[in-house]
Amino acid sequence: MTLGNLPKKIKAQLPLILLLTRQELVDRHKGSILGRLWTMLAPLINILVFVLIFSTIMGARLEGFGVEVDQYTYSIYLISGILAWTAFAKSISTITNLFIERAWLITKVRLSLPLLPFSVLLAEGVIYAIGMLFFAVFLILVAFPITAWWLFLPLIFALQLMFTYALGLVLAVLAVYLKDVREGVAVLLPVWFWLTPIVYVSDIIPASVLPWMQLNPLFQIINAYRELVLYQRMPDLGGLAGVMLLSCILLAIARWLILRTEKDLRDAL
Amino acid sequence: MKSNASTSSLSALDPAVLSSDAVSPQPLAIDVQGLGKSFKLFAKPADRLREALTGKNRHTAYQALSDVSFSVAAGEVLGVLGKNGAGKSTLLKLLTGVIMPDSGSMAINGRVTGLLELGTGFNLELSGADNITANALMLGMTHAEIEQRRNAMIEFSELGDYIHEPLRTYSSGMVMRLGFAIAIHADPACLLVDEALSVGDGYFQQKCMQRIREFKQQGGAILFVSHDLNAVKILCDRAIVLDGGKVVTQGSPEDAVNIYNHIMARQSEEEENRHLARHANVAGTHQVVVAHAQAKGELSQAEVITSGEMLYLTITLTAQEAVDDMALGLLIRDRFGQDIFGINTYERHGPIQMDKGETRTFDVAIHAVIAPGKYTVTLAMHPGKDHLDACYWWQDGALQFEVAGFIGPTFSGICELPYTLTPHSIQCEPGVSTSASKETP
Repeated sequence: MTLGNLPKKIKAQLPLILLLTRQELVDRHKGSILGRLWTMLAPLINILVFVLIFSTIMGARLEGFGVEVDQYTYSIYLISGILAWTAFAKSISTITNLFIERAWLITKVRLSLPLLPFSVLLAEGVIYAIGMLFFAVFLILVAFPITAWWLFLPLIFALQLMFTYALGLVLAVLAVYLKDVREGVAVLLPVWFWLTPIVYVSDIIPASVLPWMQLNPLFQIINAYRELVLYQRMPDLGGLAGVMLLSCILLAIARWLILRTEKDLRDAL
Repeated sequence: MKSNASTSSLSALDPAVLSSDAVSPQPLAIDVQGLGKSFKLFAKPADRLREALTGKNRHTAYQALSDVSFSVAAGEVLGVLGKNGAGKSTLLKLLTGVIMPDSGSMAINGRVTGLLELGTGFNLELSGADNITANALMLGMTHAEIEQRRNAMIEFSELGDYIHEPLRTYSSGMVMRLGFAIAIHADPACLLVDEALSVGDGYFQQKCMQRIREFKQQGGAILFVSHDLNAVKILCDRAIVLDGGKVVTQGSPEDAVNIYNHIMARQSEEEENRHLARHANVAGTHQVVVAHAQAKGELSQAEVITSGEMLYLTITLTAQEAVDDMALGLLIRDRFGQDIFGINTYERHGPIQMDKGETRTFDVAIHAVIAPGKYTVTLAMHPGKDHLDACYWWQDGALQFEVAGFIGPTFSGICELPYTLTPHSIQCEPGVSTSASKETP
């Protein structure tokens, strides 16, 4: 049950991981009238609210896009960032609590701990994809161009997933030992949200602070989405490489943590 | 398998010999060698993390299992006996793979499925059919295997058309039946059966037992963990007894059950001594008191005896006032409070006289040909031939003992009555005999 020969284990446990994903996405809503529609409803309503509030009511404007779509500019800016952030934040908070909340399962069924977070990533990935689909429909409706740059989006999202997985796994292990981790994550995620240019534009950040803010991996990731979707140009590859490196370091730490603590972790659950 | 069981019983008292004697023609489904597992107890959770990371000792250890070795061959049923806390659950969890051992090795040939996971992951909103998929996947089955056995599972569960209804409409018995049906059709190399099987109605239990026997005949290995000593004797080829995390004995089910009874007896003796000290439920004037009382079997030397064994009661009385017309009465009751057997010394042995401060011990020997079960003994001292006028001492449950298993042939009912059986041959027709075996043409 270690991280060695992972591919073979993935194959063996894939049906189970997919089942857990399904439970997260579909089965949770079983018995409700709208059923699986709920899975799509959340991102759709999110998008509608942002469009409504920031275009019609607040009438926010934002200059400097390649293409000008007047009152929808800020909505587009906001949605492009917030969908990715939601996927990240929800995944992190779910994965942090994953071992504790699935303890009933982990203590009964042979399950690979490092594979368990994949069910969360898959579920949040599906919700993100649905959100992007609605987003694309909206862009077409307001005649905002969808270009070949969109083909890079999956790569950026894959990088985001890698970072989410590595960080989430580290937090999940620590959370079993320290209750403070759950609380800490719950408190710090909103802070992180405001440290990332999602509702504001990075131009307003003072030049002296900007280099520090750029150390935030989500700063790089969210900006990359924006470069591709809004400005139709190549994102800052250097920054993304940095995120990649950080993810690899976190992965190594997660691997070390799991190898070192798994026996004890299972006793503690 | 029968031959295997009999060779084991020869060396039953030497586990070391036994673990290596598994020269069975069948391949081993489970081979466990020197398994050890301790749980760490920490003052605060953060200490656990510190130790896990640095390796520095910050805990007090609880040794749940130490140096446990055994093997189960294909087509064999190994019983595991042990009182609560002996390490049975830890052993099952290690075999399932949900916790990891400190030392030793476990070679497991194929999939191991436990009945521990009964109904794991059941979603009350989903239909029985959908829950089959979910639960079976959790037991490690593939989609192909599930589809192949789906009908057999539904049939076994006897849920019929209910299988398409959401689980929340099921009775608890129906949920349990579905859980069993799935677990028992998972067809692993080795099935771990624990107490879970002892719930449910008699009919369904029998059906499960039948299915377990079929599983064994098809070459499946079974680890059978139970407190049901009769089931262990009937179902198992061999058995091990765990006590304090160690394998105390390994051998034939009969030997294992006897050793297990000894262990349980030791514990209940300790408990009973504490109980007696409290002088619970005593009525009377206390002119004479029971200073000490003990029940033990001739062979077992403990409170757990076998039906047909001599049961010795030792009762020590102290007179706080002088009495000259006393009777000592004792009454054996079963667990339902039903009187099984009682005597009174007055009628049979005449009145007892005791001086003030005198202490006297009475030894009672009873040929305990009574049915297996738990019993209590009521002790009473009173003047005259019954306790209705006055009573010095009346104590319900002053002693207790348990009867497990039989010496020699069994009987049914509460107790064995003396009887004789005399066969008479009646010549009906020439050439026809009642005892066919003697007919040799």
